[in-house]
Amino acid sequence: MNTQTKRVTGRPSAVVLGARTLLSRLFARHSVALLLLLVVAVEVGLGVFVMRDLLTTYSQVDRIYVISVQGLHRIGELQYEAQETRRTTLYALTTNDGNLQVEYADQSRGADRLVAEGIAQYLEQARMPQAIEVGKRLANDWNAYLKVRDDVLGLILESSAEQAVDEDLTSGVSLFDRVRQDLEEIKRLYDEQASQQLALVTRSSRRSELRLIGGFAFALLFASAAIWAIQRNKMHNAVQLAKLQVDFVASVSHELRTPIAAILCAGENFRDGFARRKEDLVEQGSVIVDQATQLASLVDQVLLFAATTAKPQYILRPLQVPEILASALRNTAAVLEKSEFTVEQQVQQGLPQVMGDLGAISQCLQNLILNAIKYSDGERRITLSARVDDSAVGEREVQISVQDHGPGISSSDLPRIFEPFYRSPQVVAAQIHGTGLGLSIAKRVIEAVGGRLSVVSEAGVGSAFTLHLPVARKDSQTDAVRTAAGPGELAT
Amino acid sequence: MRQVLSLFVSLAVVLIQLLSPHRIVRVAVASPRPRTDPRQVLAIIVNRSNPAENLSFAELRKIFLGERSRWPNGHRVVVTMMESGNSERETMLREVYHMNENGYRDYFLKGTYTGDIPASPKTVSSPVILRKFVFNTPGAIGYLRASDVDGSVKVVSIDGRLPDAFDYKLRIEGPAK
Repeated sequence: MNTQTKRVTGRPSAVVLGARTLLSRLFARHSVALLLLLVVAVEVGLGVFVMRDLLTTYSQVDRIYVISVQGLHRIGELQYEAQETRRTTLYALTTNDGNLQVEYADQSRGADRLVAEGIAQYLEQARMPQAIEVGKRLANDWNAYLKVRDDVLGLILESSAEQAVDEDLTSGVSLFDRVRQDLEEIKRLYDEQASQQLALVTRSSRRSELRLIGGFAFALLFASAAIWAIQRNKMHNAVQLAKLQVDFVASVSHELRTPIAAILCAGENFRDGFARRKEDLVEQGSVIVDQATQLASLVDQVLLFAATTAKPQYILRPLQVPEILASALRNTAAVLEKSEFTVEQQVQQGLPQVMGDLGAISQCLQNLILNAIKYSDGERRITLSARVDDSAVGEREVQISVQDHGPGISSSDLPRIFEPFYRSPQVVAAQIHGTGLGLSIAKRVIEAVGGRLSVVSEAGVGSAFTLHLPVARKDSQTDAVRTAAGPGELAT
Repeated sequence: MRQVLSLFVSLAVVLIQLLSPHRIVRVAVASPRPRTDPRQVLAIIVNRSNPAENLSFAELRKIFLGERSRWPNGHRVVVTMMESGNSERETMLREVYHMNENGYRDYFLKGTYTGDIPASPKTVSSPVILRKFVFNTPGAIGYLRASDVDGSVKVVSIDGRLPDAFDYKLRIEGPAK
């Protein structure tokens, strides 16, 4: 591989990582409830929209009421009082009784006062230029009529009935007609305004209906799509898990068959008397021991994975980093020696203590060392380093890295290497034996003791797996029991 | 000689006092005089649009007797009287018409019959209606107790005297209302 691609699984801060883990756990556990919550939220949003539309419609209807009903009522009153002004003036013509004439004149003046007030009120409330113009015209026409009305009343009271009739016919009738036309014009304006408002309300109602239908359709589609996506995801996971389990069974069967076949073969040699010489006996016995050891190791790993899927308890206590390194190296010394690997150690001086369980962390480190041996591709050198990182947000941490100098991990495999039973096609093709559980176990265990595992891989250069362990606080001397979370919660 | 001179000067002073009306009025105004009760005097009222401010008593009499038909502004004169049986009307009959009720009725019957009088006075039932009548009629003229007058009508003076003048002529006899 000539291309120098570098894949880094980042080093997110503890807060971001915690939040991400919390969210993924929350979504994994309550996906359906969250979906329902989302649908409810969408429905509530729709409800708010509908309520807003209803309120707008109500306000528009209220305006229509004010404009049409109250406005028309006002105009009706104006028309009545204007007629009353004229009617009582004409009543005065029908009598010679001065007392009655004065009474009619009084009534006429009372009515005209109401008309004048009504016109003033109309002008005060008019907003449209057309309405203001008609209102002013009405006020002018009304004043002109009142002038004639006063003359007519005067003539009636002076007992000049004929002149009064002449005056009224000459000027009064035409002026009063103009007043009536003005009032009709105002009425027509009110009708027009009410019609416009009604059209607005109709449009608004239609828009609300469309919004409502669209909203419900959207909510339905959204809910359906979300359900479909979740089900699809679950099905995909289930299928993938089933496939991994089938692969696992096949892999384990294969792994079991090879040593069993060797043991069987050695047994047959013993039974059939092919191994009689001491050297042959030693050779065949060694084969049996080696293969049995391999079998035991395989079974141990499967059992360990099974144990991590339960809720193991770890004793957390402050640990010295060299103590951890020594434990891991001691347990892998035989394999390293047999594989002729050298381990280059780069340990920072004065490292602080870390919190954790010695057995668990040592097991993780062993897995990483064994992986490095397995995937080194001829370069028989491993670098084991430990340093303290002060730049991490939140707690200080100690980083223990195992770096191999193999071919590296392809970018397509990198996101999946921590999945249980996952084995990359290249590894399978290269006939490198394994169960696909080592990294998964390491990740689960290290997270169960409060740390985390990250990987940096560069094609053609190698991979570096790092354990991030929290630095022990000065006051954390007492042992704490920590229970690992369940398998579903740790799976990535 | 000195006595003659002194007598001459005294006579001159007396003559000057007699020939100077302003001097006399000032003296008269300065002297204490009883106030006029507005309930006991009749005010002559006209429409507010009427330009007339003052009438002589003779003009007033002519108007109420129907001998004058137009105001200077061209409006027809409309004399307004209250119905019989009240002291205001009695005062008008006594002070202006110099007649009793019968004489008044006969006078206008005869006048309208012969055409000498264009129209007999309008008769209304109460001071309030009379006031409203005058308010509504540009050429109307009528009378009210000074205490019944308000801003809707105009009071004209008679011979330059308003109702509160001590020598105002139209005084009501009998108890105040």
